Amino acid sequence: MIATAPSDVTPVWLTDRNTNELVDAELWHGIVDRNLADWEAEWIPDLQRRLKLLNQQKVERRFWPQSRHWDWRDKLREIERRLANLSFAIVAQDMTQAMMTIDLTKRARMPGHDGQHLVYIDFLEAAPWNRNDLAEEPARFGGCGLILINAAIQQSILEGFKGRIGLHSLPQANSFYANACGMTDLGQDATYENLRYFELDPDSARSFIEKGKGE
Amino acid sequence: MSKKTMTLNLTEAEMAVLEELCDKKDLSKTVLLRQALRLYQRVEERLEKGDKLFFEDEASKEKAEIMML
Repeated sequence: MIATAPSDVTPVWLTDRNTNELVDAELWHGIVDRNLADWEAEWIPDLQRRLKLLNQQKVERRFWPQSRHWDWRDKLREIERRLANLSFAIVAQDMTQAMMTIDLTKRARMPGHDGQHLVYIDFLEAAPWNRNDLAEEPARFGGCGLILINAAIQQSILEGFKGRIGLHSLPQANSFYANACGMTDLGQDATYENLRYFELDPDSARSFIEKGKGE
Repeated sequence: MSKKTMTLNLTEAEMAVLEELCDKKDLSKTVLLRQALRLYQRVEERLEKGDKLFFEDEASKEKAEIMML
């Protein structure tokens, strides 16, 4: 049974891409039924509309959003009773703007840290209207990705993992994790659909926080 | 999230292993035991589905099944 209320709520701020002004938002600790309703009723139709535009513009499918098959209801159903998994959502203007699930049982691979525990980000996705790469429509809100990465780092610190996080990146997001987040690219992972694997070590996590990213 | 406290009685040998693992993993006893519980739950979930638990030697690809009773 998916929860109906988050276990905790933290105030955060998104950037309105039109006005460049900060917008009040909330980081929900735990994706709840209301977030899945937003995904089903708002994200999916909006994504379908944008895919239709991409198709009409004859954009090759390899340039379409690679997360377009993700089913958040299935993902949540799979982890809902697991102690090893946590989820987060960003809500602003009464609408879910992004979601993330994490796994607390994975180990670091980076030389010097291999074998140490980290927070592994299973899935991270912003609502279609917050993406820059969909059908030439500018993103509505910026900052979703950095807020969720910050949440993963904070959880890592809380768990005693020193801020270490790791993830496999979809190709369209490689530069975001390398450049905006300062994560180390450990190369393609043949055991995971050849996606590139990225990690953030404790020093880089500290630097991320000190720069005030994702606050 | 609210937390509950419990007292855990361990033998000297168990405590020695716990402390050794905490030292190796640079984790507190609480964090390490929470990790153990998470893993135990995950393993149990897979076994209930009929899966088997293996360790694989990366070089030789040799697999050894861990018998769970």
